[in-house]
Amino acid sequence: MKQIALYGKGGIGKSTTSANLSAALSEQGLDVLQIGCDPKRDSTRMLMKGRLIPTVMDLVRERGDDRSLTLDDVVYRGYHGVRCVEAGGPEPGVGCAGRGIIATFQILERLGALRADVVVYDVLGDVVCGGFAMPMREGYAEEVYLVTSGELMSLYAANNICKAISRLSSRARSRCRLGGVICNAKNLPREEELVAEFAGRIGSSMIQFIPRDQVVQSAELNKKTVVEFAPASGQAAVYRELAWKIMENSRLDVPVPLEIEELEALAYGYSE
Amino acid sequence: MATPNDDGCTLTGALSVTTEIARCVTLIHGPAGCAHHNFSLLHALHASRDFALPPPVLSTDMTEKEVIFGGEQMLEEAVFCAAEKKPDLICVLSTCVAAAIGDDVEAVCRIPSVVPVVHIPTAGFLGGGFLAGHIQALISLSRFAGQCERVPSVNLIGEKTLEYEVDEHYREVVRLLTLLGAPVNVRFVCGATLDGIRRLGGASLNILRDPSMRPVGDHLHRELGIPYIDSFPLGLGGTLRFLELVGRQLSLDPSAAVAAEEALQKEVIGTFAPLRRKRVTFPAGPAAESASRFGYELAETLDLEVREGGNPVPLPDPFPVGTSGIRRLLHRWRRKCHA
Repeated sequence: MKQIALYGKGGIGKSTTSANLSAALSEQGLDVLQIGCDPKRDSTRMLMKGRLIPTVMDLVRERGDDRSLTLDDVVYRGYHGVRCVEAGGPEPGVGCAGRGIIATFQILERLGALRADVVVYDVLGDVVCGGFAMPMREGYAEEVYLVTSGELMSLYAANNICKAISRLSSRARSRCRLGGVICNAKNLPREEELVAEFAGRIGSSMIQFIPRDQVVQSAELNKKTVVEFAPASGQAAVYRELAWKIMENSRLDVPVPLEIEELEALAYGYSE
Repeated sequence: MATPNDDGCTLTGALSVTTEIARCVTLIHGPAGCAHHNFSLLHALHASRDFALPPPVLSTDMTEKEVIFGGEQMLEEAVFCAAEKKPDLICVLSTCVAAAIGDDVEAVCRIPSVVPVVHIPTAGFLGGGFLAGHIQALISLSRFAGQCERVPSVNLIGEKTLEYEVDEHYREVVRLLTLLGAPVNVRFVCGATLDGIRRLGGASLNILRDPSMRPVGDHLHRELGIPYIDSFPLGLGGTLRFLELVGRQLSLDPSAAVAAEEALQKEVIGTFAPLRRKRVTFPAGPAAESASRFGYELAETLDLEVREGGNPVPLPDPFPVGTSGIRRLLHRWRRKCHA
């Protein structure tokens, strides 16, 4: 079983990338489980024909406790058999979403849900507290992929996540490592070069460049992944290439985060 | 140096105040365990003071569900339930968990209710310990005090409700004040009522239990304009100075009271004359340090020799209040010296 987690700045395209990755992996004949770890609960929507599935936390809230939950209550089968779970969480502005992630993992463990050829964890924008580092803990994702564009704030968030990976990987028995950087392009000049250099500077590599393409928006408007909506498109081919590379990837690194000045200088160097 | 009062939890310190107020329900917003171990402690200590009923402490019984989704609604419902018991006052004490997830306890306590509701912030992880909770509770409760007609009387502020001999200390202060002709207006908060707290502003002087209560004294001085002296009377000379100080603050002539007290002190010292020239040893350690100057004063008056290898005599901290406290202490010293 391969367990991977996608982290990155909010709005950078983690859920789009995760859903297309899961779709592409399933087309390889793999049993794929995608878990959305974000109270926004929209990670798996494109795999579910636009449906917002009930979240684990919704069910806990409605039923008062989690003892009566079954696998069928929390796992929904989407495009090409990809199994989908949404952790969910509290309403914005109240409670503790991080604790919600921890509780969701405990429930999924108890239900024996975390079994698949590939488990894809799609995690909220930044590692804001220990709860959102849960997917990186022992027994869960062993490979983290950073999704970033060439924008400074996106690189800044990716660099911050490196700090979390670096800290967690120093623990005894921790097997969490950085698998690589995925550039989800915003059509900035020399963006691919910049992200590739960033990846190299933190001691990793850029595993995939995903160009900006209108077909992504079209697919979302049609409530589908690109892999489903435009299977013959170049963009779908890029996601399939990413899926293949991740399955073949054996390079796992403990990243070395950059100092803020170094990161700014790097981005500035590509701004001309 | 840290003292035992600086340790512990702010929640326990605040509970030592709120559970003293008559017809007051204390609602702890947090997991049941936070309420339970404090309840057990208070119940045991109150029983030793012959309190008939267990302390009226409720818990919102916060669980992981409230941690994830927020506990404000649960708190609002719990305040409503507490109000149905028709107490005079509801004190809402927060806990570490409620503060860590950001529940706005203050906002919930401001929702109009048929019973006055006061929030006392007591998340222990924010630091401060037992003493900070004690001070915070008194300051939060003092919001009910208004300006009222002032008469020559005193408030007793910050009695340590969980300390040994709290009632004996109180009786001694009342005895001394009676010598001066000064009545006690309000005990804040031993046995207080909400009406009593509202009448705090009627006194001309606040007497603090000890200097650790200065933040409360300063607060009441700012809010109500009442000056304070910062300790109950301690030691032989200290007790006489207390009478002079209170008399001066209340514009009462203390000379008769001082003369009567001096006579009493001579009689007490005379009673313990068989201790003369005994060798005694005071306990070592930081707890006894603050009490030692009163111990040396007593030893000099009684002509005792303080040296290593003497009879080990107790030197309690807090030091017993007033001349009556010294009499109780000397009984213990006499037993230790076999005199």
